[in-house]
Amino acid sequence: MADPTAVPTAGRPPFWRRLGIGARITSIFVLGALALSFSMGGLSYFTTRHFLVAERVSAAQHQAFANATLLRSTLSTINKQSANPSNLLASLDAGSNSHSALIYNGKPYSSSLSLSASSIPIGLRDAVLGGSAATQTYREGAQSLPQIAVGVPIPSVHAAYFEVFSLSDLDHTLRVLGLALIAAGIVTTLLGAALGRFASDRSLRPLAGVSRAAVAIAGGQLDTRLKSDPADSDLVGLTTSFNAMVDELQVRIEREARFNSDVSHELRSPLTTLSASLEVLEADHDTLPPRAQSALQLLGEDLRRFQRMVGDLLEMSRADAGSVDVFLQEVNVCELVQRAVDAGMRSLGEEAARPRVVLGEGVRSLRVDVDKRRFERVMANLLENAANYGGGATVVSVTALAAGHGGVGVVDGAAGNGDGTAAGADHAGPGLGEVEIGVEDDGPGIDPLERSKVFERFFRGPVSGRRGTGTGSGLGLALVAEHVSLMHGRVRVEDAPSGGARIVIAIPVATTDDASDGTDESNASDESDGSDTSGAPDAPDAPVGSDAPDGSEW
Amino acid sequence: MSGRILVVEDDERIRSSMRLALEGEGYDVHDAASGEEALDLFADAPTDVALIDLMLPGMDGFECCRALRRQSAVPIIIVTARADTHDVVAGLEAGADDYVTKPFVAKELAARIRALLRRARPPEEDDPGALTFGTLQLLPEQGVLRHLDGEEVHCTRTEFRLLCELAASPNKVLSREQLLDRVWGYDYFGDGRLVDVHIRRLRTKVEPDPTLPRHILTVRGMGYKLVP
Repeated sequence: MADPTAVPTAGRPPFWRRLGIGARITSIFVLGALALSFSMGGLSYFTTRHFLVAERVSAAQHQAFANATLLRSTLSTINKQSANPSNLLASLDAGSNSHSALIYNGKPYSSSLSLSASSIPIGLRDAVLGGSAATQTYREGAQSLPQIAVGVPIPSVHAAYFEVFSLSDLDHTLRVLGLALIAAGIVTTLLGAALGRFASDRSLRPLAGVSRAAVAIAGGQLDTRLKSDPADSDLVGLTTSFNAMVDELQVRIEREARFNSDVSHELRSPLTTLSASLEVLEADHDTLPPRAQSALQLLGEDLRRFQRMVGDLLEMSRADAGSVDVFLQEVNVCELVQRAVDAGMRSLGEEAARPRVVLGEGVRSLRVDVDKRRFERVMANLLENAANYGGGATVVSVTALAAGHGGVGVVDGAAGNGDGTAAGADHAGPGLGEVEIGVEDDGPGIDPLERSKVFERFFRGPVSGRRGTGTGSGLGLALVAEHVSLMHGRVRVEDAPSGGARIVIAIPVATTDDASDGTDESNASDESDGSDTSGAPDAPDAPVGSDAPDGSEW
Repeated sequence: MSGRILVVEDDERIRSSMRLALEGEGYDVHDAASGEEALDLFADAPTDVALIDLMLPGMDGFECCRALRRQSAVPIIIVTARADTHDVVAGLEAGADDYVTKPFVAKELAARIRALLRRARPPEEDDPGALTFGTLQLLPEQGVLRHLDGEEVHCTRTEFRLLCELAASPNKVLSREQLLDRVWGYDYFGDGRLVDVHIRRLRTKVEPDPTLPRHILTVRGMGYKLVP
């Protein structure tokens, strides 16, 4: 479903926009932590390295100069011919990690096989042979080991002293330090991600509250409000404006519901006068001239229709205003349905054919919690609907559904009118399952595309399928959905086996009649399950005490 | 069947049409526009049935109902705008015997009045005979409920009729539907609250402790029974 307020953009939005706000906050934290940890890590690494190398260079120079001084004094005192520079070098106090080399009278000498004069960097050698002391750090060999070479010219004896220090231990230390810093950086970044996640959750939590509140309000709980946290100045604005919006909405809805209720209510007084006066006229029907009789008949029919419409509207507006009282009473479902069909057929008039009432297996003992008056209205509306659109109801079936049945949760008839009336509370049959009451007709059926609309207010089927002159209020099925939902049931539309429409009400089973004392069901056990109990309006299982009430024929 | 009917209704047009319709059914109709006027009219001449709109200016329908009930056991029908509110129960508790909702059909109203008038006469052949329960004695044929010491217990005719029906089959459960049918003449879809409120009213008169009934018992999900 397209959001009508969304600005259409060409192509896909940039990646950044496609991230949720939570992901964006987390990414910012990750990038921040990454930048911070690696800049701090790099800084510490290079500072440490610079300091350690400088220290080693200074120590190396110190040692090289001391050795050069020692060599100069030795070489200047001993006999030039007898001097063995290699021995001299060996006798020098060199550290374990340094090697010495000497160029004496143009000849190179070395303290170690691994060091030859040629391995001393040429630049350094030239500088020293040129008469100035020099230091150079460089890498050498296949393993590119870091070294410091210090060269000291000893011009008084025509010699140049070189000492090469291995920095491999320092290199190792620095490598370990580097790895430690990288590890610290990764850990910091992960912590940053976690912190970002936490922060985004934390900062989005009020939005989740707003969302929950909006859902509750959409579900009809208009008294839902956001809790205001005065300590949080950032959220006060949102909370206040949201609550103000809901206040305004509630006022409007209530005003509208009250208006509807008032209108219908005000219509009742003139209607009462009209209908009472009409009955006076109808009592004298036979004495009127034929034209007046016809007019009276038209007047009577439309007045009753108008009366029903006002009644339905009032019922609807009460439901909207939430001011309904439901008087649930536990009754035997079979008796209820039989009686409701009888009452519904009575109000339809004598010419209507009574539908067959088909009782499914195991339904006779089921009891349901219903508001009998509402159930009577439901059945009357369904029968009337079938009479108006489907040529009259053919079958009213009562079927038991065990608890935990599958596939019945589909509410085809969930009203699209936004107030969720048709779906009802989602009471999946608790424990004892549900009983389904289906009313079938012989009409053209209901187009699957229209099934979601039949429970909407003032929905009327296609004109071609309509019989009669449309005596319904257009609220019949909407009220069915309303009443059923108030009785914790659900309603849906499906195809009848005959091809007509079948409207099904599912109501949770309250108890079973096992403990029946036999007063209600004296004849019921004589009939086999699934039998067809169509027939006279006085069903065979009339309760004890049906001693022809003489005041009940109104 | 004829009888004198007191119509209490503030809307003049409804009053006139009700008068026309009820007179058409053969009743002698007297009308009042307010509760005060109704009480005056009631004092003047015997009334068989009172029809009271709940929404009245000044003294409202409930108060009018209570005032009538204080001085008489006359059958009272209240006229209410809505059936599914507390108004109905409040009206019944104020002493009404039955109710109709606006806009009513005159035939339906006439039928309700007929049922009340029928009941207002002493019960006939289905006489359960005298029954004693607790410290009370019910004498249906004389229309009397009295303590064993002879002191009479005042109850409305509907309450009395209800008690008689329960007493006709002691210890047997009668469903709300059966009681509605036998006492009020309603079919299966009659309002069970009529029974419930009348049982409650009856208990305050016959039970030593109405909150812990010992004679008129509720059988959950079934109905009521009288235990002597």
